[in-house]
Amino acid sequence: MTIDQETLRTGFDSAVPDFDATAPGVGAASPEVDAELTGMVECVSITEVTHNVKSFELFAPWMARIDFEPGQYVTVRIPELERERCYSIASAPFGTNTFTLTIKRVDGGAVSTYLHDVLKVGDRIHVDGPYGLFSTSFHPAEKHLFVSGGSGISPIMSMVRSLLARPAGTPTDIVLIHNAATPSDIIFRPELEQLAEVPGVSVVTMCSRDSAAEVVESGSEVRGAEVRNTEVWAGRRGRITRDTLAEVVPELADRETFVCGPADYMAAVRIMLDELGVLGSRVHEESFVFATSPAERLARKERVAEAVGAPVSGTSSASQAAEGICGGSALARFGIEFTTSGKHVDCDSETTVLDAAVEAGMVFPSSCEEGMCGTCKSVLVSGEVEMNHAGGIRPKEIAAGKFLPCCSTPLSDLVVER
Amino acid sequence: MTLAPEVDPRTDNPDDPDRLIDERRPGYCLDAPFYLSEEFFRRDIDAVFASTWIFAAAAAEVPEPGDFVTIDIGNYSVIIIRDDDENIRAHHNVCRHRGARLLSEANGSVGNIVCSYHQWTYSPEGDLMSAGVQAPGFDRTCFSLRSVNVRVVAGLVFICLAQNPPEDFAEVAERIAPYIEPHALDKTKVAAQVDLIEHSNWKLVMENNRECYHCEAGHPELTCTFFPTYGYAPEEIPKRLKPAYQRYLDAEERLRVNSERNNLPTQLIAELSGRATGFRIERAALDGKGESYTMDGGAASAKLLGDLDTPELGRLSMHTQPNAWFHFMGDHAVTFSLVPLGPDRTLVRSTWLVHEDAVEGVDYDVENLTTVWVKTNEQDAALCAKAHRGISSPAYVPGPYAPTESDLEEFCTWYIERLQAHRAQNGTGGQSR
Repeated sequence: MTIDQETLRTGFDSAVPDFDATAPGVGAASPEVDAELTGMVECVSITEVTHNVKSFELFAPWMARIDFEPGQYVTVRIPELERERCYSIASAPFGTNTFTLTIKRVDGGAVSTYLHDVLKVGDRIHVDGPYGLFSTSFHPAEKHLFVSGGSGISPIMSMVRSLLARPAGTPTDIVLIHNAATPSDIIFRPELEQLAEVPGVSVVTMCSRDSAAEVVESGSEVRGAEVRNTEVWAGRRGRITRDTLAEVVPELADRETFVCGPADYMAAVRIMLDELGVLGSRVHEESFVFATSPAERLARKERVAEAVGAPVSGTSSASQAAEGICGGSALARFGIEFTTSGKHVDCDSETTVLDAAVEAGMVFPSSCEEGMCGTCKSVLVSGEVEMNHAGGIRPKEIAAGKFLPCCSTPLSDLVVER
Repeated sequence: MTLAPEVDPRTDNPDDPDRLIDERRPGYCLDAPFYLSEEFFRRDIDAVFASTWIFAAAAAEVPEPGDFVTIDIGNYSVIIIRDDDENIRAHHNVCRHRGARLLSEANGSVGNIVCSYHQWTYSPEGDLMSAGVQAPGFDRTCFSLRSVNVRVVAGLVFICLAQNPPEDFAEVAERIAPYIEPHALDKTKVAAQVDLIEHSNWKLVMENNRECYHCEAGHPELTCTFFPTYGYAPEEIPKRLKPAYQRYLDAEERLRVNSERNNLPTQLIAELSGRATGFRIERAALDGKGESYTMDGGAASAKLLGDLDTPELGRLSMHTQPNAWFHFMGDHAVTFSLVPLGPDRTLVRSTWLVHEDAVEGVDYDVENLTTVWVKTNEQDAALCAKAHRGISSPAYVPGPYAPTESDLEEFCTWYIERLQAHRAQNGTGGQSR
């Protein structure tokens, strides 16, 4: 049976379309290759490390592998709290697309309390980074000394893990000193015990006192209280002293030294090292975050940078962030690049992208200004916004990289197709 | 001086539409103007497509809130959209401001329904949410989208454009739902959809679909699985079809066992005329492996629909006047619907539904899934185009339906009933608006 020629010409559109998983009319989102560790990350696991320390494994879907230097930190922003805190990355950059923040719960610390008590696996938080010069990457050396107090071990562990991941045959000479209040406060305790077995690695863990018997309110379960076991610390006791350093660290002066812990701890260690003849230029500090705001850290980072004569940059955007990170009541400011018009516009964290654009003289199609009509819908090429829409955009459109400028404020520098 | 006697104009003009309607010869196909004239095209839109319940889409075509399809029927355009409460809505595709068509695409996804003319913004529920700057006293609640009657039956979306839709639909829905529900269409996704524009009147497309007299010669792929004995009384089976008929009887017995175990109703219900919502539904065996419309009759998708425990469940076949037919198998379902585009042009849409968790390339292959009906539809389109061109000749006179074409006689009967009912409500040739 043949179909006549005319029918063929005017004929039947009978091609079976390649049916694609995306909905009709919605293009598949093309993942942006973004070198910045800046955006909404998803919590994929939470691990209890000690009674008041947890590790949060975070997933950055836009990065095939997390790119940062071991020892660097990110600024964590909790949109619900409108608070930011900086935390060092504890994991090493092993080419995965997750990274880990190991965070101590600080009494009265809004962000750490939120992370410990509210954040669940599957929740998303905003991170911005990576920042910091506190890294073995910026100070290459053959021999290392790491001195950490409390949760200051986070960036140190990132660096130690990275050093041990170097190609086989790379000479390793690491001394790691860790100070904890009691045995039950030793962060990464099993890993520290394993590290002590690694050739070329010497681990000294010190506890100020034994774990006292104490009554602990058990979390959310109505189990009443439980008594935590006491532990008598059999290892090195007391605080770190000059004598400790002299005793446990061979070739002290030849080591690139990284110190991280509470401010007075670091100050004390610096004096000891100085007295033991270690050059100040070989000692690097990171005041581990207990309650420092980004502004404090930035100011400190600038001082450090001045001291070492390096530019303030952990990443290419660090200097832009330097102008923008909130200090006190000042709002974060971000740059928006509009690709079609070629315009660059400044926008603070409380101004919508649309308002910033029209204030800068751009003609920008819009109508309802409330996130309803979608007239202003645009492609967000890169960056992160906080969007409060009223149904004018669907999740799959957001997944395809679109946003509504009329109801979106920037969380980072943006590139927008307009 | 005498006045001219009053005459019924219908006696003067043998091609008068009302006369053709009232003098249709039973048992024969329709006179040429029914298939060819603009006048009948207009009446078909008003009296049939805008007055009865028509099949519009599978609910799976709008899987998520904001997903929509648009259906154009004559000058009407209807938006079918899933709202934020997951309900399926139907609205006239007309802005309440100055009437512009709101959505031009055949399907897509929106946050809200926004007029591209002045950005009047309607929620998927049809409420006007935003209308720019209006005079004081402007009441948004007075300007919701005009709604269209919509009923979802076991995952199939039917709409009716009439002010007073036929009331018998609820009863039909109640009777057909138990047949269809085991196929769990609400847990399916669209695996493929093909639009075919056929160069023939829509009634020729429906008539062609309602008989299998042409299948043996015309549909080599379909008859791998579709028994060509459809429509024959047992005593009428021609000798050449006896072996096929014996296979049919054996397959029917296996089907009966499988259907009973799966609690599937199989009983034929055929009420194609004598009521506003004409329909026919029946579960029947398939040839070959008896599982699906494929070249060997084997299942096309590895993930069975619903909780069915075997792919060998033949075909649940349904036909709804005026514009749709369906086949529901153990492994997939196919819906077919048509919309008249003009006296000689008809859009036929075929949609293949598979289990929502079936993975393309793993559980099913689109070509294997669609081949039989893609080819069958193309063959039918060619046959219908020949029919339309033949009827266009002044030499055409209606011919008799064969005994196996009894569904066509029912269709014509139903069709004439609709034209007469509409005329009774709206006056001669009246157009309802």
